[in-house]
Amino acid sequence: MKNYLLLAAISIAFISCSNDDSFPVANNVTLEFQNTFGENTIVLGGESSSLASVNTSEAGQAHRFAELKYVISNIRLIKKDGSEIPYNINDLDNGATVIDHSKPETLNYVLSNIPSDEYKQIKFGLGIRSDLNTLDEVSFPEFYNNAGANDTEMMWEWGTGYRFTKIEGFYDTDNKEMSIHTGSTIEDGEGGHVQGVDAYRDITLDLSTNAIVGNSAPKITIKADFDKLLSGNSYTITLSSGSGMNDNATPNIHTAVEMEKFVDNLGGNSSNDFVGMFSVINVEN
Amino acid sequence: MCLATSCSKEDYEPVFYNNPEASINIPIGFPEVNNSYYTNIPTKYGVELGKKLFHEKRLSADNTISCASCHIQSNAFADNNAQAIGIEGRIGLRNTPPIQNLAFMRFYNWDGSKLQLESQPIVPIITHEEMDSSIIESIGKIQNDVSYLELFQKTFGDEEITPERIYNSIAQYEYTLISANSKYDKVMRNEGESFTENEAQGYQLFQEKCSSCHSTELFTDQSFRNIGFPINPDSNEAGRARITGIDADYMSFRVPSLRNVEYTAPYGSFGQFETLIDILDYFDEGVLDANNLDPIFKNNGNRIPLTEQEKAFLISFMKTLSDTDFIDQ
Repeated sequence: MKNYLLLAAISIAFISCSNDDSFPVANNVTLEFQNTFGENTIVLGGESSSLASVNTSEAGQAHRFAELKYVISNIRLIKKDGSEIPYNINDLDNGATVIDHSKPETLNYVLSNIPSDEYKQIKFGLGIRSDLNTLDEVSFPEFYNNAGANDTEMMWEWGTGYRFTKIEGFYDTDNKEMSIHTGSTIEDGEGGHVQGVDAYRDITLDLSTNAIVGNSAPKITIKADFDKLLSGNSYTITLSSGSGMNDNATPNIHTAVEMEKFVDNLGGNSSNDFVGMFSVINVEN
Repeated sequence: MCLATSCSKEDYEPVFYNNPEASINIPIGFPEVNNSYYTNIPTKYGVELGKKLFHEKRLSADNTISCASCHIQSNAFADNNAQAIGIEGRIGLRNTPPIQNLAFMRFYNWDGSKLQLESQPIVPIITHEEMDSSIIESIGKIQNDVSYLELFQKTFGDEEITPERIYNSIAQYEYTLISANSKYDKVMRNEGESFTENEAQGYQLFQEKCSSCHSTELFTDQSFRNIGFPINPDSNEAGRARITGIDADYMSFRVPSLRNVEYTAPYGSFGQFETLIDILDYFDEGVLDANNLDPIFKNNGNRIPLTEQEKAFLISFMKTLSDTDFIDQ
């Protein structure tokens, strides 16, 4: 009996404690991701689906998605005065997420305990910074297990890193398969020798209205316009199938320079394009 | 509670083991060891632990496959399958590479995806077509095994099992797998053996026609080349370009060492060739063209012309690279 009382007392102590430390809900910021072709939210579907959204690229190729996933990490909110509030940027379990278009609950990502202030800008990464992209199951078991789950498959085992985007779908009038995967293959070697491709892209978006944290819990709606995949700021891409060096519609797109073209279109080229396919639709305070 | 703690403290006597460096003979004339070797120098118990882990089937999801299931000693730590076979009979992308002389290598895996041996063991553990497990799952299966706890204690000074300790000890064991005692080595070291007439002819031809790529005492220059072999139809295959994102690396693979080549059939990145004579015939008849076909082929009509007699000589020589001590040790 005494034990129960003690336990109860401890629980109360803990609850009080955590209540004291935590921010009110008004210090949440919700990021809502709208995945679109242009202005229209994407509807996923197989090759025979009559409901699936069909988009046409600048090169004239019709295409549709059956699967659409990408990783967001390294989130930072920029205050009106320019100072930066990093959000668990070194912790994939609490600061990174897989947006999976087939799972509506993943389209809203809630940032908690954001200091009360006005925010004018958001930065985040499409993909994962190289220093964290190591499949470190011990440090980030939750993210590891979610990414590796059979219905997620956001891992590149051979590259011991995560997939940053995974798009499965069909293109052209005869519905050829398209399978576009991106990720980093950076590897450090002897004497500073580094090999591989860095597919991480840092995104900077100005907010259409300042987000006011503290009085209300603002929601920032971010559009990810996958029309840019083939018709992007960097490249106009024509898909082709086959096993040749330039055939880019199958997973061997991550060969040669083909993968980087998709990466630049989706996440910007890191020199003069820091938005890629992303834009802020609105901020609800 | 407090009492119990004190009690066990009184009973606890830490045992310190002397864990000397393993004795490793670096063969004369071999290239420098990889820098990461010096950060993970093999120790007596580290090697013992690594060997045990190398043979540990519990590293796989269904406890059926160990490293040694594909890396079989009698095949110079390769196997005789065209492509590696993992749990539930799953077929991998590529041919199992032999595990030999890895301390002297700069690149690991056929596409050179890994530059340090210590960062390699995680790959087969998590790959779907290989062991399909995870490092936490693997640790969970061995963490109550007294024989492991004892070896971790002896190797690292305490019983803690961490991913890094597992990777490092497997690498330490692999560093000890050095093959340098073939007939070729004994001839070169003037240990009383000599080449037969055929072998000597083969050695001469080898130096003329093969040794620009299969160079150094490792019999590989560790470069990556597209030599026009039949292409793996798996759309995940791009050779080294998958890693580097460079067009010129498309369908390029690391030049394989020819040491113990007699034991590692079939040959090619996905086992395209059943025998050595098949490869020599292919070179003689002409390889596939490609934009990035290696200049040695491109400048010679995409082939290495060889007579039947020359092929026989070359194979005689290649068999002098067989190290029976290595595959029996």
